[in-house]
Amino acid sequence: MTYFDISRRHLLSMGLGGIGTLAFGARGLQAQPTQVALQLSWLHSVQFAGSYIADERGFWAERGLEVRLDAGGPNAPVEPPVVTGTALVGISAADYTAAAVQQGAPFRIIGVAMQNNPFAIASLPANPVNEPKDMEGKRIGMPLANMPVLRTLCTLNDVDIDKIEVIPTQYDPAPLVAGEVDCLLCWSTDLPVAMYVRGIESVTMLMADFGYTLHSQTYIATDDSLANRRAELVALMAGEVQGWDTYRADLDAATDLTLARFPDAGLDRPTQIEQARRQVPLMFSDLTDANGFGWWTDETVAQNIETLALLETPVEASLWDRSILEEVHG
Amino acid sequence: MTALAREQWPATIGRVLASVAFVLVLWHLAALTVAGSYMLAGPVVVAQYLVENSSLIWRALVVTAQNAAWGFLAGNLAAIGLALIVLMIPQSRMLVASVALVVFCLPLVATGPVLRVLYGPGPGPQITLAALSVYYTTFIPLLVGLRAAPGNWFDMIRLYGRGAWSAFVHVRIMAAMPYLIAGLQVAAPAAFLGAMVGEFTGADRGLGVLTLRALRALNVEATWAIALVAASVSMVAYWAIGWLADRITPSRPEILLATTPAPVRGPMAQRALRALVLGLATTVIVVALWWLVMEAFSLNRFFAKRPDDIWHYLVTAPNATAHRAALWTASTATLVQVVPGYLAGLFLGAGLALLLALLPILAGGVLPVAIALRSVPIVTTAPLIVLALGRGAVGTITIVAVMTFFPALVACIQGLRQAPGQVLDLMRLYATNPLAQLWHAQIPAMLPAFFAAARLSVPAAILAVTVAEWLATGRGLGALMAMTASTSDYNLLWSAIVVVAVGAAFGYGLVGLIERLVLARVAPEQLRR
Repeated sequence: MTYFDISRRHLLSMGLGGIGTLAFGARGLQAQPTQVALQLSWLHSVQFAGSYIADERGFWAERGLEVRLDAGGPNAPVEPPVVTGTALVGISAADYTAAAVQQGAPFRIIGVAMQNNPFAIASLPANPVNEPKDMEGKRIGMPLANMPVLRTLCTLNDVDIDKIEVIPTQYDPAPLVAGEVDCLLCWSTDLPVAMYVRGIESVTMLMADFGYTLHSQTYIATDDSLANRRAELVALMAGEVQGWDTYRADLDAATDLTLARFPDAGLDRPTQIEQARRQVPLMFSDLTDANGFGWWTDETVAQNIETLALLETPVEASLWDRSILEEVHG
Repeated sequence: MTALAREQWPATIGRVLASVAFVLVLWHLAALTVAGSYMLAGPVVVAQYLVENSSLIWRALVVTAQNAAWGFLAGNLAAIGLALIVLMIPQSRMLVASVALVVFCLPLVATGPVLRVLYGPGPGPQITLAALSVYYTTFIPLLVGLRAAPGNWFDMIRLYGRGAWSAFVHVRIMAAMPYLIAGLQVAAPAAFLGAMVGEFTGADRGLGVLTLRALRALNVEATWAIALVAASVSMVAYWAIGWLADRITPSRPEILLATTPAPVRGPMAQRALRALVLGLATTVIVVALWWLVMEAFSLNRFFAKRPDDIWHYLVTAPNATAHRAALWTASTATLVQVVPGYLAGLFLGAGLALLLALLPILAGGVLPVAIALRSVPIVTTAPLIVLALGRGAVGTITIVAVMTFFPALVACIQGLRQAPGQVLDLMRLYATNPLAQLWHAQIPAMLPAFFAAARLSVPAAILAVTVAEWLATGRGLGALMAMTASTSDYNLLWSAIVVVAVGAAFGYGLVGLIERLVLARVAPEQLRR
């Protein structure tokens, strides 16, 4: 489509000369897609495969949008680029967003990619953590930044947090495998997958199964964008929804596309396909089957508000703005 | 001279090969000892990984090396520019050095994200962080070098009726060369580390990206293969700079025994007043720069806090006391780890340099190992050191010591070579024993370089401790700053930056004071302006 356009314009400009070029140049400008950016929350991987599909299959292009996908990383915060407008939309999480709002950022959550929170406690079968109570008397490895998460899980399940020894670790399953800690606080789609691929069996206790209800991988945008750039937001979210539905239909294709798109990212197929599988139950539920990808209800928001209050970042229900999704699915 | 050097080549290569073999054997044994712990991969599996993934690693290396090279170039040009400013306006020396120090001390954890927002996607942050990692470590030795010329050389220039330009071309540049080379050699691995850490701010490709991936995926072979590649590149750059320097200045000038002018000394009160004025001037300039940069780029107040925001947060806000207490706790936790590590690294570096001076036969073998230790990116070694020595103080102290050790070693080796030839000849003529030579001639000659290293190691140590706290231990100021990514508490982040900068400036001042006291006794010519 684009190619034909360009070649026709090229031909005409050669035939008709300057005036023709000007005229069709102006037309070409009009047809140019609007350029926006989506700030991802981590390094490129199958975690964002739905977005890659949306891009490669032209789900955004057909809506007149060109989306640049900005990689995240351990030292790449999501919120500032969204505040400054470098990115139209960022992929955050309900707790991060709530904290940013508390600090004065004008954010709204406009979509929820992960209905179930991916936080989990990973342990080894010889010394398993099957329920929160099991953590008492054990050493847990986690970044100290996640202390509020552990505290909330303990409060929700009557676990004495003082009986757990917290050992600060970072993005690395090695301390568990080396026996330096008994369990890890991590994403279920992350370190447990790494151990699985290496042939190490592990036990994963999903925190969402024990009352830790918190939307993750949430799409955030500013009040200003919601007021003035609605068409772009709708187009972006519509592409995302279509991309993730396509992802769910064929995980293998989604994984292959990710691997082909980022040959330099050091991704390997076994890890990526396993991660792709494990994030499906977190992203799709009866709720999304009934209403569409990214959806939420007043009920799930109320549960989130409860958890956020325990995390000491109280928020109002108005933090969630479903108007964009309603337009997409409506 | 050159012919002789060429004849020594086979011997040098032999020594290097022997030390490489030694390291490989040690490495293999260590890997066997901790087999199954997923912390250390042996040389065989690492080699296997490198062969199987050669094109992936190569492409990542090209990206990171390119960014590091641009940063290296920009940072060193900035260092030379700053040194020239100081030379032209000597009164500005302390002020320029202080401001440069404060900028150098801005922790990577904090500057990375700000640079990313400024530049948007692309290699901008990687290049800038690489430049920021090197400019100061070149600037300080260069300052010393430009002053390291004996006074009677300048007398000679004046005798011939020539001006400052001739003194600059014929004396200062020649005198500064060895120091510049020492700085450039230290800069090579630092630029590489800066470029890798820059990739943490959100990059598509590069060795830093691969490191993160490998750590998370429990891919030990990959982690160590990348560390090996990064270390090798840094070592090759180190050697290449040395080789090039030998070609450019084949015969380094012999340094004559300098006359001993009376050191600049005023009454105590006057010196204290001068220090106070300097501190105030630096503060004013830095605060003004802080404000100007943010306003010039109209950075959003949500994350780019202005000086008055921090004043409010720490002083006038209702819960300012709690904010200050949190910072104080983190600062003391960091301080008790950074000081012992800094001192240990510094004195081990100087000690090894002295040992090498006594037993030059070891030099060929020890230097590559030392460079390797420093060049292995801290992001990959920190978890290993922490596993071996625990997540308590010892691990972090060791990481700081490793980071401080290498600049001290390189500077001291360069410094020892500055011992005046005639003095050593005279001592040898009288069959003075090597220890006495070391004590009476070589150590005094080494001290200026040692103190240059001590000063530039203050920020390096702080960089090391904050990175270790951020990536491995999760305690102290480094962890506090990293946490803002999840809490968006940018007031706390900028307050921590202020604490780090003030702490570094204070440490620098303290080292400078000790330097003056010591040099006034053993190498007073260095104190001449």
